[in-house]
Amino acid sequence: MFSGKNKGALSEFLAGIKDGLPLQLAVIPFGIVFGMVGLEAGLTPLQTFFMSSILFGGASQIVFTQLYATGTPFTILVTTVSAVNLRHILYGLVMSEYLRHLPLYWRILLGYLLTDEAFAISHLRFTQKHSSDAMHYHLLGSGLILWSCWQISTLIGIIAGPTIPDNFQLGFAVPLTFIAVVIPSLTHFPQIFAGVSSGTAALIFQFLPFNLWIIISAICGIIAGTASSYLMDSRDTKTEEKP
Amino acid sequence: MIVWLAIICAGILTFAARFLTLSPLMPKTLPIWLQLAMKFVPVSVLTAIIVPAIFISPETGTLIIQDNLRIGAAIIAIIVAYYTRSTVATIISGLCVIWLLTFWQ
Repeated sequence: MFSGKNKGALSEFLAGIKDGLPLQLAVIPFGIVFGMVGLEAGLTPLQTFFMSSILFGGASQIVFTQLYATGTPFTILVTTVSAVNLRHILYGLVMSEYLRHLPLYWRILLGYLLTDEAFAISHLRFTQKHSSDAMHYHLLGSGLILWSCWQISTLIGIIAGPTIPDNFQLGFAVPLTFIAVVIPSLTHFPQIFAGVSSGTAALIFQFLPFNLWIIISAICGIIAGTASSYLMDSRDTKTEEKP
Repeated sequence: MIVWLAIICAGILTFAARFLTLSPLMPKTLPIWLQLAMKFVPVSVLTAIIVPAIFISPETGTLIIQDNLRIGAAIIAIIVAYYTRSTVATIISGLCVIWLLTFWQ
């Protein structure tokens, strides 16, 4: 009985690592880029290295270094960096459905590890037909593999950064990762409509301060997707002439 | 010293954003409309990051359509993602195209 449960946990954990591995192809160059720009912005090697475990959010760490380099005041810097990570509230909201029953220490650990990539990978697992009691080990696996690669690649960037030429465009690996996650999920009209709305809004609202356009565009996409799927559902039930 | 304080404050607020909805403060069940809306969270958030990363110049913060190598690379990556559904193939094809275009110039 007990060993069977542990076996399930181990196989979920390993599946999380395995599913997360392809994404490290983008995480590692991103981490190297961060290590490089951290030093360029004038942070010390120790500050750059520990930001990767204290903040643990790629986009927000890059924003931090940009703002620091341009001498942004403390409060604006902290609020902007946090605003970039506001989207994680939405991830937690989605994940809470699967993680709510866990003990507090599990939810604290998984909350800390909940990044864009780990969310995308483990959300795919959680929504699969065969659910299990040990599914949270999948998020632990995908979260820990990402965490390890992020720390190591930050270190590589700090040490080797000055030798990598700029025109390698390693930062471009970040949107490419997200394209790889988003495109296969565009299977129904509401999903496509949500993506188009959010992408358009992201360009329109670029002028907003504090990177607020990320959260506002996301809300536009969510409203567009939800509204269109509501409308399509009500149209379908009419044509099927159900009471 | 102030830098460390900024890193730690931003770290605490980031963890708060991640943990808030997993915390015991959340209600046990969520309304239907919210469950429906949550299906659109990943595509909406990620597209909001993808599109500006392609069209907005990291140096000037302005929209770039002409001579923007990232548009071509992104289109190839989208096609590869659509047909292969492979993360590795998508990232490698996108990076290879942008390197080819960069060194072509």
